[in-house]
Amino acid sequence: MATIEVQRQLLPILDSPNQGARFYNPDLPSTEPFVPGHRTCAGCGPSIQYRMTSKAAGDNTILVGPTGCMYVANSSYLCTPYNVPWAHTQIGSAGSFTAGVAAAYEAMIRKGKWKGAYPNIICEAGDGSASDIGLASISGALYRNHDCLIICYDNEQYANTGIQASSRTPYGGMTTFSPPGPMVPEAKTLFPKDLARMMAAGHPHCYVATASVGYPIDLMNKVRKGLNHKGAAYLMVYTPCQKGFVYETPRSIDLGRLVVECGLYPMWEWNPETRAYNYSFRPASMRPVSEYLKLQGRFGHLHAEHIAKLQKFANEQWRMMGVELPEALIQAADAKNLVNMGSAAEAEEVAQTV
Amino acid sequence: MAAVTEAKKRTVRINGCVAAAQAAKYADVDVIAAYPIRPYTATMMALAQMVANGELDAEYIVADSEHSQLSISHGASSSGARVFTGSSGVGVQFAYELYSPISGSRMPVQMMIADRTLDPPGDFGSEHTDALSTRDMGWLMGWSCDAQEAFDNHLMAYRIGEDPRVLLPQMVCQDGFFVSHITSDVELPDPGQVKEFLPPYKHPYPLDPRHPVSHGPQIMPEQGPPLQLERARAMEESMAVIEQVHDEFANIFGRRYDPWVEEFMTDDAEVVFFMQGAHAVTARFAIQHMRDRGLKVGLVRLRTIRPYPTDRVKEILSKFKVVGVIETNMGLGSVSSGGSLYAEACAALYESQQRPLVVSFMAGMGGEAIVLKEFYWMTQKMIDAQKRGKIEKRTHWVGFEE
Repeated sequence: MATIEVQRQLLPILDSPNQGARFYNPDLPSTEPFVPGHRTCAGCGPSIQYRMTSKAAGDNTILVGPTGCMYVANSSYLCTPYNVPWAHTQIGSAGSFTAGVAAAYEAMIRKGKWKGAYPNIICEAGDGSASDIGLASISGALYRNHDCLIICYDNEQYANTGIQASSRTPYGGMTTFSPPGPMVPEAKTLFPKDLARMMAAGHPHCYVATASVGYPIDLMNKVRKGLNHKGAAYLMVYTPCQKGFVYETPRSIDLGRLVVECGLYPMWEWNPETRAYNYSFRPASMRPVSEYLKLQGRFGHLHAEHIAKLQKFANEQWRMMGVELPEALIQAADAKNLVNMGSAAEAEEVAQTV
Repeated sequence: MAAVTEAKKRTVRINGCVAAAQAAKYADVDVIAAYPIRPYTATMMALAQMVANGELDAEYIVADSEHSQLSISHGASSSGARVFTGSSGVGVQFAYELYSPISGSRMPVQMMIADRTLDPPGDFGSEHTDALSTRDMGWLMGWSCDAQEAFDNHLMAYRIGEDPRVLLPQMVCQDGFFVSHITSDVELPDPGQVKEFLPPYKHPYPLDPRHPVSHGPQIMPEQGPPLQLERARAMEESMAVIEQVHDEFANIFGRRYDPWVEEFMTDDAEVVFFMQGAHAVTARFAIQHMRDRGLKVGLVRLRTIRPYPTDRVKEILSKFKVVGVIETNMGLGSVSSGGSLYAEACAALYESQQRPLVVSFMAGMGGEAIVLKEFYWMTQKMIDAQKRGKIEKRTHWVGFEE
């Protein structure tokens, strides 16, 4: 059988001196595969991520959208924001539908049925799809190493259905399926599934990374690294949800940085060549988790002991990345040094405690 | 051309599973999505070997579930690839979510079904309930009764489903074991014949970066009915295409099938069996025996259940005095409290001026063979009803009554 060799794209990595800095001027590609006109909320983290991601990928791209906000709020009939081919698929089909697209292009190019460079194939799965119902399908796609990039836009809940807990919802996060009450004062009692690390550990031949909308150039470069990697890649991106987190709309990007600065969202890359984690990303500063929590209504019910637990969790993340902890953060993991969130005044006190 | 064609045809002795795999190979499929479950697995085993041998250039994907098999197929078909997948029994049901999205996005995915009973209790036998439970999801669907017919149905289904007037997925069904694992002579065509019959798959709106399209966006309630109507119309309009394709198939390959029903010894029949699938082979044999004894019994075998040939079924079944529906499927608490085929037969007959008596037989359940004496017993029940002028009861569980 005569076969045609599949040509693949190579996207340049953007220059990003001091990528962890709080303020820098990104020089972005001009292409806009994801255009305005959708119905996402003001300040929507996932849609900011979507724009950055698709910009980084460029026009020879196919997007796959399992059910979630980025399906429902983006695509109102006769008015979709995608300038590149996009297809909806079922919420549990994130990895499998994407694998089908990838396999089709491998076969069609090889058999001379489609001519051109292999397209970027990107799946945009919410954390509900990626950590719960579609987990097996994504694991299947990564395991089989289809040439595609699967992104989990992590807004830490099922937002589209009206804010329900997913296995990515943080400890203490209030959702409609994890409300606080006298019997469950902290609301969500479980810590989130360590999803990206699962993917790296279980599929070590894949490029796996975490990112945040707070650092757009870093995000776009990780997208390009994932796409350039021949085979499957996985990216988990922190994308705050104004509706579910309950914060002031203009603060999405602030949160995207604070969550990294307080250690609740470790930023790393898994290198499939060296089979090692790269923990070199450093935010401009380190902060106590309370500074991140106090901006969000979903944590408004937390007591000192709960905040301490979250600080302890964050401290573990820092240690895991090889960061030496300042004394203030160690102190902040002790409930004695904290006060309840309760009110705005209390929240202010929290900030001044450490 | 004809001489060359004859030279390259060959007859092989294969089972239904391998016949289906051969059809996929002749159709030059691009993407295959496999997941193991008996008995259809043998089809995927055959295809895996063909790919390994270099006889077929396709992406062979071992999926992580049937749900993923169908999603992979959906994605690949949406991208412009010709796709083959399949399943059996509970596997068919595990993928249930995908049936409507695939037909709704008008992707002509082909799925081979080798029937298997549903759980409980983990019976390997053939029963049509697995595929029949999806019959209203917008898939073209029909049963073959032997390996040759299975091969032919697979080729025809690609041609019908991929026709731009249709663009619907197809479930090409065969009884587990009775067809899937019984070998018989199958004539494999000259590849040139297949080339003439089946043009390359070309979806009008694939996911192609040069012509961006959005597939399956969220809609408002008032935008739902027009889409559902279009899908319903595609199903209706497929009927003319199905007839045309069967004609062309006969002209090119020399085997002519009635697309809707096979009639066997019905010319002067007074009582007939109405059924689908492999047990029709035994039925033909039993009918010949009973004919020798002077009983006016015949067979109407449904070949295509979706789209359902309502007018043909009405016209044919109206000719008889009694119709005995052999279910081989479960419709618990349904119209007849037996199987679901009874309701399909009766609904077609409702508008007839001359309605036969209709009785439902629960036979071939759990993958049991329907033996000759059971056909005789069922025929006697129909003759009794004819004499009495009314049925004794709507549903008989064959083997559980005197």
